[in-house]
Amino acid sequence: MIRFENVSKTYPGGHRALEKVSFELADGELAFLTGHSGAGKSTLLKLISVMERPSAGHVYINGVNLNVVKNRQIPYVRRDIGIIFQNHRLLDRYNVFDNVALPLVIDGMHHKNITKRVHAALDKVGLLDKVKCQPSTLSGGEQQRVGIARAIVNSPPLLLADEPTGNLDPELSMEILKLFEDFNRHGTAVLIATHDLGLIARMKYRSLTLDHGRLITDPLAQEVL
Amino acid sequence: MSLLFKSRNTQGAGNNRHGISAIYFAMLNFIRQGVNSLGEMWRTPIASLMTILVLGLSLTLPATLYVVVKNVQQVSSGFSDAAEISLFVKEELNDAQTQTLVKRLALYPEIESVSYISKSQALKEFKQVSGFGQALDYLDENPLPNVVLVTPTVRYRKPQAAQQLLTKLEAEREVEFGKLDIAWLERLNALLSLLKESVFTVGLLLLSAVILIIGNTIRLSIMDKKEEIQVLKLVGATNAFIHTPFIWTGIWYGVIGGFVAFMSVVMMLWWLESAVAMVAGVYQSNFVLTGLNGNELLILLSLAIGLGFSGSYISVRKYIKDIEPDKV
Repeated sequence: MIRFENVSKTYPGGHRALEKVSFELADGELAFLTGHSGAGKSTLLKLISVMERPSAGHVYINGVNLNVVKNRQIPYVRRDIGIIFQNHRLLDRYNVFDNVALPLVIDGMHHKNITKRVHAALDKVGLLDKVKCQPSTLSGGEQQRVGIARAIVNSPPLLLADEPTGNLDPELSMEILKLFEDFNRHGTAVLIATHDLGLIARMKYRSLTLDHGRLITDPLAQEVL
Repeated sequence: MSLLFKSRNTQGAGNNRHGISAIYFAMLNFIRQGVNSLGEMWRTPIASLMTILVLGLSLTLPATLYVVVKNVQQVSSGFSDAAEISLFVKEELNDAQTQTLVKRLALYPEIESVSYISKSQALKEFKQVSGFGQALDYLDENPLPNVVLVTPTVRYRKPQAAQQLLTKLEAEREVEFGKLDIAWLERLNALLSLLKESVFTVGLLLLSAVILIIGNTIRLSIMDKKEEIQVLKLVGATNAFIHTPFIWTGIWYGVIGGFVAFMSVVMMLWWLESAVAMVAGVYQSNFVLTGLNGNELLILLSLAIGLGFSGSYISVRKYIKDIEPDKV
C-alpha cells in the first residue's frame, strides 16, 4: 500500500526531518507510527498526503510514485486517502452533516447518495443522532469521531491519523482505536501516528518508530509482538 | 476518478460521465455554487451591502458623466447650423450702392433674408452694449464698417454649404470680405470632445478602483476562510472547486453594483427632470433629459460583471495558491 524508499526530507533552513527512511505498509495493514515530538511523524504523513515533497527518495502508494504526481493532480491523490487530525479540523460554519459530506460534495456525488453515505458514516462512529448539530456543541471525543466519519465517508483504501487520541482520555482513546480496527477489518490500510505508547502496548500491531528522522525498531513494540 | 487506485469507484461526478453529460454536470455544479455564494453573501449582509454600495457609487459617477455628455451632444446637435454670414462692404461704397447690393442678395436662391447694418447704426449699438460709450466719443471717425447680414436658407446653413456660399458672396465686387461665424461651433465641439475625454479618463480611473475594491474584498474573504480552504484542500478539493465561490461572489457584486448604479442614475434624472424642464422653458426649448436605454443598461451591467470577475479572479489566483495545508 505505502512504500518509502530511502526518503529524506530537509526543510528550507536546514532542518533534517527525515533521513533515509524505508519501510513498507502492506495492503490492509494497520500500523502505528511513533516517536518523540519532532521525530518526523508529521513529516512522514505529509509526504504521503503530498503536503510536502521528499528532498530525496521515493514514496509509492499502491505502486504509484508520488514524485511523478503533478501539483494539479494532488487533489485526486488526497481523495484516495482519509486523513484524521489531532485537532479534527471541522468547519464551524457548517453542521455535522455538511462537514462529513464535504469529500463527497467535492467529488460531485449526487445528493441522494451523499445523504445515504453520510448517514452510514455517522452511524459507524455512533453519532447518527448528531447529524444536525454544530461541531462546536459537541464534546472533544464526538468532534474527533465526526472527523473520522469525514475521513471514511468516501471509503478510501488508506487512512492516515495524526495523534487521533491526543486530547482524549484513555477510555475514549480505546474507543477510537476500536473504530480504526473495525475499518481495518474491512480492508482499509491504516497508519496511526501517536506518542501514546501505552495505547500501542495494548494492541498487537506493528509499530514504526522514528528517532530524529531515522526509522528504528521499537523495543517495546517488539516485546509485545 | 481515482488516480492511485484505478479500479476504485467513488461514485463521484467524474465516474462514467463523458462528453456532453460531463459538461452538463459541470455547468449544473457551477450554477449551484453560484446560488450558494449568493446565500453566502446574505450571511454577512452589512459587509456585502457596503461593498455593493461602494461599487454602485463608483459606477454611478462614470455613468452620470456619460449621460451628461450624451445630453450635451443632443443639445449641441441643434446648434450645428451656421445661421449667419456677415459681409463687410467696401468703404468707398455709398448708401445707394449698398442698397442695390442688399436687393441683389435678397434674390439669391440660397439666401433667406438679408439685413443691412450701417456703420453709424453699428456704432450706436456698440456704445450701448460695450460700455465704452464715453471713450468712443473721442474717436475722430467711425472705425466700424458697413455690414450686410445674410441668413442662408436651411439647406445652406450646414458648415460646408455655408462656406461655399460665403466664397460665392465674397466674389461680389461690393464686398470687401465675408465672415462665417462657425468659430464658436468649433469651440463647442472642442469643449465637447474635451468633456468626452475627461469622462473616459475619470471612468477608467474609477473602473480600476472598482477592480481594486472587489479584489481587496475578495482577498479579505479569502483570508477569513483560510482554515476552510486548507480543509478543502486536505480532503481533495481541486483549485477550481475552491476558486468558483469567490469568483461568483465577485460576479454578484458586479451584477448588484451595476444595478445600483443604474438605479442611481435613474433617480438622479428623475430628480433633475423638473429643474431641467424649467431651464428649457426659460430658453423656450422643448429639450428633455435622455436617460440610459436598455442597451446601455446591458453594457453597464456587463461592464460591472466584467470588473467583478476580474477583481475576484486576480485575488483568487494570487492568494488561494499561497494557502496550503501545512500541518497534518
